[in-house]
Amino acid sequence: MNLQHKIIRSLLSRVLSSVFVLLLLITFVFILVRLAPGDPTAKYISPKLSPDLAENVQKSFGLNEPIHKQFILFVSKTLTGDFGVSYNYRIPVLSVIKEYFLFTLIFSSISLAIQIIISFWLAKVSFNNQGKLFDKILTKLSIFNYSIPAFVIGLILIYIFSIKLNLLPTSGLNSIYDEDKNAWMIILDKLYHIILPLITISIAGISIFYKYLRDNLIVISNQTFVLNLKASGLNEKQIYKKHILPNAIQPLISVIGIEYGLLLGGALITEVIFALPGMGRLTINAIINRDFPLVIGCTLIAGVMVIVTNLIADLIKIKMDKRLVKDLIR
Amino acid sequence: MFGKIKIWHFSIFILSTILIIRFLHIINVFVLLFDLLKSLVSAKQNIFSLVGFNVVDHIISAILLIILMVLLLLSKNIKRILSYKLSLVSFAMVILAAAFLFAPIITMQNPEFQKDITVTKLLPPFSSVKYVELRKKNDNLNEIVYLKNRIDQIIPETFNNSIIYFDNYKVSDKFYYYQASSHNQIELNQLQLRNRKPIIESKLFLLGSDEYGRDVFTRIIYGSRISLVVGFGAVLVSFLLGISFAFFAAEKGGFVNLILSRVTDLFLAFPSIFLVVLILALFGSNIISVIVVLGFSGWMSLFKIAKSEIISIKNKEYYLSAKLLGLKNYKLLFNEILPVIIVPVMVNLIFQLSNVILAESALSFLGLGTGSNYPSWGSMIESGQRYISQSWWLIFTPAVVLVATLLSINEIGRKINKIINPTFE
Repeated sequence: MNLQHKIIRSLLSRVLSSVFVLLLLITFVFILVRLAPGDPTAKYISPKLSPDLAENVQKSFGLNEPIHKQFILFVSKTLTGDFGVSYNYRIPVLSVIKEYFLFTLIFSSISLAIQIIISFWLAKVSFNNQGKLFDKILTKLSIFNYSIPAFVIGLILIYIFSIKLNLLPTSGLNSIYDEDKNAWMIILDKLYHIILPLITISIAGISIFYKYLRDNLIVISNQTFVLNLKASGLNEKQIYKKHILPNAIQPLISVIGIEYGLLLGGALITEVIFALPGMGRLTINAIINRDFPLVIGCTLIAGVMVIVTNLIADLIKIKMDKRLVKDLIR
Repeated sequence: MFGKIKIWHFSIFILSTILIIRFLHIINVFVLLFDLLKSLVSAKQNIFSLVGFNVVDHIISAILLIILMVLLLLSKNIKRILSYKLSLVSFAMVILAAAFLFAPIITMQNPEFQKDITVTKLLPPFSSVKYVELRKKNDNLNEIVYLKNRIDQIIPETFNNSIIYFDNYKVSDKFYYYQASSHNQIELNQLQLRNRKPIIESKLFLLGSDEYGRDVFTRIIYGSRISLVVGFGAVLVSFLLGISFAFFAAEKGGFVNLILSRVTDLFLAFPSIFLVVLILALFGSNIISVIVVLGFSGWMSLFKIAKSEIISIKNKEYYLSAKLLGLKNYKLLFNEILPVIIVPVMVNLIFQLSNVILAESALSFLGLGTGSNYPSWGSMIESGQRYISQSWWLIFTPAVVLVATLLSINEIGRKINKIINPTFE
């Protein structure tokens, strides 16, 4: 079997395992919905629905069928993207989610970019100044940051920058008077509104990535191949760029993948504090309104996001290091 | 930094401080307990209807305070365990434990107590409010009414009709008092008097008051209970799940092991926060469901650690001989395995504890916490959010307490970890 075959086989098995996880997730949600107290259809029928329609919805669950058929029905509906109709918005759940997903996509992508750039820069600086004051302070801060909940950070930022200094807006995405502005002004206005949320949501990720990367850099720079390269007379920058960094990034990629998936599922707390129109706030509002189809839809989408980004992270890892193909085949 | 002071010195200091400051209250509680027992023996009427959760809470705290004091002074074992030098972390932990155990004695207030909101709402820290008490009626009492009055006097309830808070007052033929914009009057003989003048007392709001005029200090002290109960409960659930799955996987090996490991990997890769939110939305959120759900979402890392440890001692002779003796599985687990692997498991559980406390506060912040009938730090921060521009203390004080708790728990975990595995970090 040549390398090409091996790669294809490993990719296939990786994709299959993702599909398996997805099925497991759907099964889990199915079991939860059935276990929850009360009639499962009651969670999909709002009291405002007309009796005819309610009966139709009830029939669509096939509750008279045996349980395995119900399960297959649920899985096939979920896979085709039919999550039912939201009580609150009175349109299919998927179209509600689509409206909110765009914001979350942009917001989390910017946030991830910021997290990666800043943490890589900090890790590099602190790697170059090992054991010095800057390094020590950063390491302490990154540990300290584990213990500070995101909502505390967000509220402190609001208190300092919005209330005391009156520099940045506390919530929302648009200023009140934005009718007579051109597109550029609107985009700038939106950016201005998401500065504080971006800081809030990025701080946790930055400290995690920083800690990982710094420790990895130090471990790898102490290995013998680096010593060999140094002895061969390569300059330090080249060694860092071509040999230490790629090796150190390797394990970080899956962490970044999980983080991105979590962000895409919606930053529950940040979006709630800053009243942003994203997936997280949609989920929480749906819970408050007892809009169960929407809650279940949001959870499933969030799960899918994590599964997909995990898959992508693994694919990138394989692309970077062909040796990993062997690990995956096993 | 504290010189030669040890943890048990500080614990005794805290206990005796509480004992001295609240001496009268504790005596009262014991007298009440005595009265209750006496009427239980005479058993004329059912007194259990009088005894609510608050009463039991007070009595247990008072008894525990005395017992702990005696134990600390007499028992050498406890002194030996607590003979480490006092650090900032253990300082915080002792205070947290005291707040958890003796909340009713320390605060002597109900966390939900509110009266005359116009006067007491949104007070800044260290402000005090003047109040007068109404005179109590002394009718000819039967035993039950007498007991009820005693309980009302000693045990603070959520509402007390006989206290009037006011901003300003004037005494002439009647007692005139001003509350915010309204002014009222009351007959002098209805008040508690000394030398024919009403007794004006003042109540200190140490950390300010919230939008309903409830004392923030009291609520923070009581809030430690939710955090710690949910924390320890969920950690216990994770511990039982993780350790029994690990034992099962290591003992059976082969297929069972493979399946369990796969499932663990899946759960580890999956964001538990969304499932937690979904489960709480579907099943309703109360303290039990929060504990169970957080416990279920945290057993995976423990499973991994415990499994590798159990596999390594599976073939040791002492274990094999215990097994051949025919010990039951749970005895094997708790008598033979657990003492050996307790240290790495403990470290994991301590980190888990801080994760759970953080998760609980986040859930309370999102309104999915343990319900509104007991204060929790997360929900205090959540409700303070609306008053952020005028009353910083509503957010700041619970947040500081929460962060300090999390920091100290993490620090303890890190210290133990450093001892058992020095290459870490």
